[in-house]
Parts: sequence; C-alpha cells; structure tokens
Amino acid sequence: MSEPLERLSTDLGERSSYDAASQCCRCGYCEQACPTYAATGSESRSARGRNQLVRLLMEGRLTQPSSSQDALETCLLCGACTTACYARVPTADIVLEGRRLLGQPRKLSRFLTRLMNDHRGLFMVLLKAAYLAKRLGLSLLARPFLRIVGLPGLAVADAHVRQTPWVFLREKLARRPLAADPRWLYFAPCGPDLLFPRVGEATVSVLETLHGPGNFMSNDCCGLLAYNYGDVEDARALARRNIARFEAAGAMGPVVGDCSSCVAFLKSYPQLFLEDPAWKARAERFVAAVQDVPEILAQADLSAVKDLGPAVCHDSCRACHGQGLKEQGQEAMKKLAGSSYRRLPESDVCCGGAGAFAFRQPTLSDDIIRRKVGRIASTGAAVVAASSTSCLLQLAEGLRKYYPECRVVHLSELAAQSLAPERQGQGA
Amino acid sequence: MNPKDLRSFHCLFPAGKVLCAEAELAAYSSDAGARGLRPGAVVLADCAEDVRQAVLFCRQRHIPYVARGAGTNLSGGCAPLSAAVVISLARMDRILAVHAFERFAVVEPGVVNLKLQDELAKTGHYYAPDPASLRVSTLGGNIAENAGGPRCLKYGVTTDHVRSVEAVMPDASLQVFSREDAGPDLMSLLVGSEGTLGIVVKAWLDILPLPQAVRTILAGFPSVEAAVGCVSSIIAAGILPRALEAMDRATVAAVEAYRPAGYPDCEAVLLIELDGAPQALGREAKAVEKLCREHRAQEILSAAADSERDRLWEGRRGAYAACARLAPNVLVEDGVVPRQKLGEIVRRMREIAVRRQITASLVFHAGDGNIHPNIPYDERNAEEALRVRAAGQEMLEACVQLGGSLSGEHGIGTQKREAMHRLHSPRALRLLRDLKKALDPEDLANPGKMFPAESPAQEDLIAPSRSLSLAAQQLRDRVRSCAAQAKPMSIVGSGSREKILSSKEVLISTVGLDQILDWDKENYTVTVETGISVQALRQSLAAQNFHLRLPDGRGTLGGVLACKACPALRGDVLGMRILLADGEVVDLGGKVVKNVAGYDVPRLLLGSWGTLAVILDVTLKLYSVSQEVQLMGEPKPFAAGPWQKRIKEAFDSKNIFNPYFERYDIP
Repeated sequence: MSEPLERLSTDLGERSSYDAASQCCRCGYCEQACPTYAATGSESRSARGRNQLVRLLMEGRLTQPSSSQDALETCLLCGACTTACYARVPTADIVLEGRRLLGQPRKLSRFLTRLMNDHRGLFMVLLKAAYLAKRLGLSLLARPFLRIVGLPGLAVADAHVRQTPWVFLREKLARRPLAADPRWLYFAPCGPDLLFPRVGEATVSVLETLHGPGNFMSNDCCGLLAYNYGDVEDARALARRNIARFEAAGAMGPVVGDCSSCVAFLKSYPQLFLEDPAWKARAERFVAAVQDVPEILAQADLSAVKDLGPAVCHDSCRACHGQGLKEQGQEAMKKLAGSSYRRLPESDVCCGGAGAFAFRQPTLSDDIIRRKVGRIASTGAAVVAASSTSCLLQLAEGLRKYYPECRVVHLSELAAQSLAPERQGQGA
Repeated sequence: MNPKDLRSFHCLFPAGKVLCAEAELAAYSSDAGARGLRPGAVVLADCAEDVRQAVLFCRQRHIPYVARGAGTNLSGGCAPLSAAVVISLARMDRILAVHAFERFAVVEPGVVNLKLQDELAKTGHYYAPDPASLRVSTLGGNIAENAGGPRCLKYGVTTDHVRSVEAVMPDASLQVFSREDAGPDLMSLLVGSEGTLGIVVKAWLDILPLPQAVRTILAGFPSVEAAVGCVSSIIAAGILPRALEAMDRATVAAVEAYRPAGYPDCEAVLLIELDGAPQALGREAKAVEKLCREHRAQEILSAAADSERDRLWEGRRGAYAACARLAPNVLVEDGVVPRQKLGEIVRRMREIAVRRQITASLVFHAGDGNIHPNIPYDERNAEEALRVRAAGQEMLEACVQLGGSLSGEHGIGTQKREAMHRLHSPRALRLLRDLKKALDPEDLANPGKMFPAESPAQEDLIAPSRSLSLAAQQLRDRVRSCAAQAKPMSIVGSGSREKILSSKEVLISTVGLDQILDWDKENYTVTVETGISVQALRQSLAAQNFHLRLPDGRGTLGGVLACKACPALRGDVLGMRILLADGEVVDLGGKVVKNVAGYDVPRLLLGSWGTLAVILDVTLKLYSVSQEVQLMGEPKPFAAGPWQKRIKEAFDSKNIFNPYFERYDIP
C-alpha cells in the first residue's frame, strides 16, 4: 500500500492530514462548487461528504471502509471546493490521502511511471507501436480485450485519444541548439510531449518571442501520475530529479510548463518534503521560478488573432483552483480574441477530464462535459481555449459529440499565432 | 432498516436513486449544525411522486423519514436521529416558471436560492429572503426553516414571500395550501415546521422588482448601545433600510486579521443599506448619516456604486469566514431580542463568554434584534465542545429572559429543542405537540426535532410573563366553567360580521377586552387586547404617529384577525395570547419580528373564525409612517377541508368553540 503523506501544506499552515480533514466544519458552502455533487445530488459525492468520509476512515469509524471507494474515486480533484471554502480545506489532497488509506490498486500507474522515467527509450518505442496499432484500427479490436482484463479505462482512453504523433515533442526539442544564457526553461509535460507536440512547440516559440533564448529542461515526468494514482515515494523521487535538473540548468528566468495540472503539481513540490527541510528549501526555490502559460500570457503584450470567430476560455481547474490563477486565463484570452472574446459562464468549473477521470468514470464524466459544452454553446463560441492536457482531450471529445461547430486549442497555440501569425497554422 | 424492507425500498425506484452503502449513509448522518445517526437508506428524489412513494413506504412499514435539501441548516434539523429514510430533494432543482408580470415564481424545493436570484435578475426581479447560505441552501430548506437574512428587516422572512406550497403530507397525499385559503392558515403552519409536518415539493414564491438604486453606509460607533440607539432612531425617522447589520469589535478584529476590509477601529460597526428611487434615496442617506453623527459615529463611509458597496460589505461577509479559519468548528448561535435590548444582550453574552472561557464574536441583524454569536471550537475536544454548547444555551436563555426567542432564523432542530421549555409553557408545548400529532399521528415525519425529549415543568419557563387583565380573567373563567360542562360556546367580537347564534350556545364575546397592554415605542410593537375596535386602536396609535397596516373599518381587531379580513396584517402578527377550549391561556410568539421557535400558531389562527381558540391579545408590528392597505371584500366563514378538521381536533376535540363551524362543511 502506498504510504500516505501524513502531513499537508494547507492555507492555514502545515497540518496533519487528519487535522486538515477535521477542519471541514460541514457548512456545505462547497456543495454547489462541486461538479460531481451538481451532477448527482449525492452527498457522498460532494466535497463536504468526502472530507467527512476520509475523517471517518482515519478514525476507523467505517466498518466497511471500501464502501467509501465510490466517494473517493469519483472526486475530480479539481479543487473548486477549496476555492469556495473559507478555511480552504484542501479536499483534493485529503481525498488522495483517503485513497492511499484504502490501498487503491496502482500496478498500472507504477508500471507506467517506471517505464516512462527509467526506461524512456523503450517506453517511446512501445507507445509508437501502440499508436501504429491505433492508426491501423487494431486498438478498436483490443478494446473488448482491455475491458475483459479489467482495464476498461484504457479502452475509453483509446476512444478519446484521436491524435497520435509520430515524433514526440522531446525528440523535436532535442534538436534545438542549446542557449548558453537561457532566459527561461521549458518543462515538457507528458501531454504535450506524447499527445500534443504542437502545443509544446507553440509554447516554446511564444517563450522565445517574449523572453529571448531558453532551453528545454529535459525533465522527467512531474510525478503527478504517481502522486494521484501510484506511490508518493515515486512522486518524490521524480520531484528530486526535476529540482536537481533545474538547479543544474542555472537559468535566470522562469520554468514554464504548458499543462496546468502538471504545473500545479510542480508548484506543490514543497508539500512532498515537509519532513525533509533541506529538500523542502530546494523545492521552494524551484517553485518560485515555476510559471504556467496563463500567467505568462496575462502579462504579455499580445494582439488579437485574426479571423478567430467567437472565442472563449475554459479555466483549467489546476490553473484557477490549483494555482489560484483565477483571471489570468481570461485576461490572456481577452487579448488573444480581441472583440470576438466571450465570457464563458462557469468557466472555472471542471470539464470532467481530470486526468484519468474521464477514462475511469466515463458516465459521470459525460454528465459533466455535457453541462460544460452546454455553457460553451450558449456563447456561440467557435473556439475554446484551455491550458491542461486532459481538458484538451475532454473538450475535444465533448465538442465532437455535442457541439462539433467548435474546436479546442491550447492558449499557447493562440498566443503563437498572435505573435508570429505567418509561422503558425490554425491548430487542430 | 431490515434487509427485507431495504430490498422492497430498492424495488420502488430505478437503479441509482437509492443509496445504502455504509459510506453513502454516513455522508447523510449530519448537517451543518449537528451530527445525527446514519440513516437506513437515502432516496435521491427526482419528482413529487418519488417523495410520495417514499413517504407511503415509510408509513406502511412505520419507518421515520427525514427530508433534506442541501443540508446546510445550523440546528440539526435534517440530521437523522434513527435509521430513518432520508428523502433528498437536492435533485428536484427546476425553476418551473417565472411570472414576472404577476410577480411570482414557481419552484421545486431543491432549487438553490442563488440560482433563483440569478434567474430572476434576468427580468429585473429578485426574491427577497437572503439567508447567508443563499449560495448553497435550497428554497425547500429555506421554507422548512422559515429562513431570514439581512433583507428581511424591510421585506420580511420566508413566510412573507410564500404564496402557496404543494406538500406531501404524512398520509402520503399531495396537498396544496395557500395563504389565500379560507379558514385556518395551514400554509403558515407548514412554513418553518422543519420537515415535521409535510414535505414541500413545489412552491409559489413572491418576487419583487429590483430596486432602482441602492446606497450603502458604514459607520463606526463608540459602543454597541450607541449603534443600537442609532438603529432605533433610523426606524423612528420612518426610514426602513433594506439591511441594518452590525458587528462588534471582536468580529471586526477577526475580519481585519483575515482579510483587511478597512473597517474603523471601534466598538461597533453598523452597515446600513437603503434602496428605492434615486431622489428619495439621496434624502434618506443624508438623514441616516445625520442620525449616525448624532449617535456619536466616529467614521462614516458611503457608497452607491456596486463595486464600492461590495467593498463595504466585504467585512460583514467575511465575519463567518474569519471565524471558520480560527478553529475546525464554529457554533453559529442564533438568538433574538426586542431591538432596544441588543445592548443588554451583548453585555450578557460577553459575560457568559468570559465565564465559560470561550471567544464569541457577535454579528447581528440589528434592525430586527437578531444576534449571532460565532464561537470557534474543535468538536474533537469533548470538554471544549460541551463548554461551547453550554455557553450557547446560556446565551439563548438570556435572550428568552429579555423577552426574545430561541431562534430568529435557524430553527430549533435538535440543537435547541431542550431549551424549548424555557420559552414555552408546558401547555403551549402540548398544543404544538398536539398539532404535530394531528397531522402526523404516527410521528414519522422528522421525529424528535423541535420538541424537548423530557416533559417540561411550569417552573422551567423563564420567558417574562404578563398578567391577564381583569376582563380577560373573567372571560377565561367563563370559558373554563363552560369547558368543564362541555357546553358549546359562540366566540364573537362585536358581532359585526357573522351572526350565527342559536340558543344552545353560550355567548363568549371579546368586547370589553380593549386595553393596549404594551406599546413599545422603541421596538415599534404594540400588544393589544382583541376586543378593541379597529377605529379606537388606529386613533390611539395615530395620535402619537404610529401606524398599522390595517385600514379603518368596523368591528374589533380580533374579528379582523379571526376572519382574515386584512391579508396584509398577516406579515405583522408577531405574537398572540390565546385562550384554549380547556380554559388554559397560552402565549405564542412575542415582541420580536423574527421568530422560528416552534410552529407559527399565531398565523395559523388567522381565518379560524373563533373555531380553534379565543385570541385574547395580539402583538403587532408598528410603522412610523401611515400604511396603505386594503381590506378584503367580505370574508365568509370557511368550508373546512380534511386538514383543517384535524387542526380543529387538536385545538378543540369536543367541538365546543363555534360548533356551527361544521355547518360550512363541504358536502
């Protein structure tokens, strides 16, 4: 079983996980912010309910602890509840502690983490083989098999992933000449790397235009996969490696990633080292440099992209709730869309992508994306921008099903078009 | 619930609607105010029929049930006390219709208050009740608790904005009750009944046009008394703000430490919000600022723009937030006193806090005397939790001693039920219990709430008592002797409306009960005997520039009330002293404008035509400017429906008060 973190870094200071869960006074002010409560009306699928259940788990007051699995598994970890909470109770972290207590099955995620980071060459070959199989239509045949062997999530994931690049982002970036005096470092999250290289390329070109020369960090996975679905210790090991890389790179400017989930996790590195002052201090220095794309763009001088059509910005949860970047995405979008900007109602509500959530909870995820697509459609948008990989996947799938008149892009892609319109295509 | 029952319950509903896993049930064991026990099953109702099926099932198997909205209530009202069936209304969240022109909206009970506000704003309207929890609490819950909020000073509490409700009654029938129904006002009984009588599945609510302009004024005072004095002066000047909120020094300090709002450093802060037509508003704002200065306000800030007003409200809104960060739990107590007693209650509450070694920051809806001590604590510390509960209880008792009540807007639930015998006499409590029994004979609807577990004694009562006037004593004695012999009585006022007398009945007339018993010129209330003529009462009051929402007319005040001849008066009835058919006298309600401690019997009696009890005296809200209202045409005695008959049974089982009531029966 994965060891729990035991101690969390909360808005009220460092607390034991138990104290953090007990800080929920059940006022219920989070209820309407919770997308799964809004979709189901079920108290155990609300943030308040989940905090109560983790507390009961910790107190050993559930005779059938596994009965809380549904409550904990259905949490999107979007953090909207924490934004709504006066005491900023960190429900997402508490839910993860609960999942660790329950001993969630984590073989697949451990395997992937190891493969991805310790045997990256092999991993990339395997993934390309899988992509080839997918293009040949073989994965369609594999879906029933995946369901039978207990990996229905992979079957859904296969259905959702429609883009399978031949050349991964890090292969492309490896060809870039190294800058001697880098003004920024690019942290390549797994999504842009393995699914959306065009996003990573756009981000790098934006950074070059805005800040001058910079380098790809040749980073490992941020560790979020391990933190959410596997072992905290694996996440910690990856964090150490990334921090050490950052220190060795000696850059003067920001470390920028272009998946908000990933960047939010980078920003939470110090929480992994609450018992280890030396690494905590190193993590804090690292975090001081980390920035997400919406932050960079909100401050940048950008002109409107031509012929965009009505455009809205979906605030990826891990940007607005995870990092407190409440208005940055919208500010960036106002500049990028100019007069065709529309304010998306409920822009800060999760789309239901949430990492592997869309694959593990397909029905609930569909309820949530339908509401999101409804809000997008209400603005008449032709383009919706987001800043997280799973939002890109989820929105693409939702729009394809329910509102195909609209396409989804990453904010970086629009920014790249705005800054160098002649170089960029129209995106997906 | 036994496995067989659970299986049959499952069979009643499609898959996914019934929850029964341990963790799912645990999540329904508490609300924001209290922890209860895990229910036996939960049904996520999608429509009235689901609710009806669940109630029917519970009735057939004798299983208690608890209705639940968002579960944000602060008195334990929807925390189950046994392995009950929880009927969740959260998914019944449709706004069925908004009739902007006719000024009403039709909603399901699970609609969140704010969602209705947002919808109404589109047509330039709003729904007046604005409990602090409006972002999350449901309208069904607001109705069950008779929720208030800052705006209720000017616009009234929830009951003042409900036109009709459709409810699933304990016999599993679907009934519509309306404030316009002839006869005893059952709708008023249901509002604020905390789910113990019926489950509202649809409601027709009044809506109002958004005010043309709003002005917010913030003023700091050197003492709570000075602030309260200012509040009284504002109301005496004929200005009725849409909100009159106050905070004490401890609250301001907590807020400033959490998120500085730039509030002045002083003993009390008043937040005054005015609305209306721009010109009149400007005049009123000037007058208010002048009054603030007269009451030694040290710093006065005024704002008209939305963003500016928002900034002034920030500190008030942050009051609970700041407390919620100080400790894992906050006891949000809820007492109410006549307005001019606010200074005294603050002094007593502080004394209790010191003695019990707790910190209490005081926030109040100063205009209506409603005070919320916020007490941070950690429920995991059993000793501290006990101390905090005890302090809360003492604070409420202090409110009762000062002529106030146990709850202005949070309800009784489980948290305050043991204090009910401090406010209500044993006979009054028995009457409330009889009403519950009449509507829910098997005690399955949210049992255990609102009523104390132990049977109380008269000595427990600490609410200030008034003696009966000589005329009232005589009347009581006559009723007693008739009651002893089960002699039918004819209850009348001056006899100006219906004269149905037969030689069989003893005439009991309120004529002669014509004294003004208490005229509280600071609190703007009057307690007056009901035999007084409408003309005489209006003249006496007007002589000193006090007014009622009661037009001139013939007959007695009691007659107007008993016949529901003036619907507007419903909103101003604060309390009543009534003479029951056994000759016992019972006080209900009081001098406070917000009171949710027990069923709303005074409003139930409106339209009862003397068939339930004799209204000896009534406490009414007064106004400093003359009010324009209309009498209804000519009300006729009512044809009793089956539920009204049950009410009659609870009040007068021998049918000796106005027995001709049966004559108007529906054939």
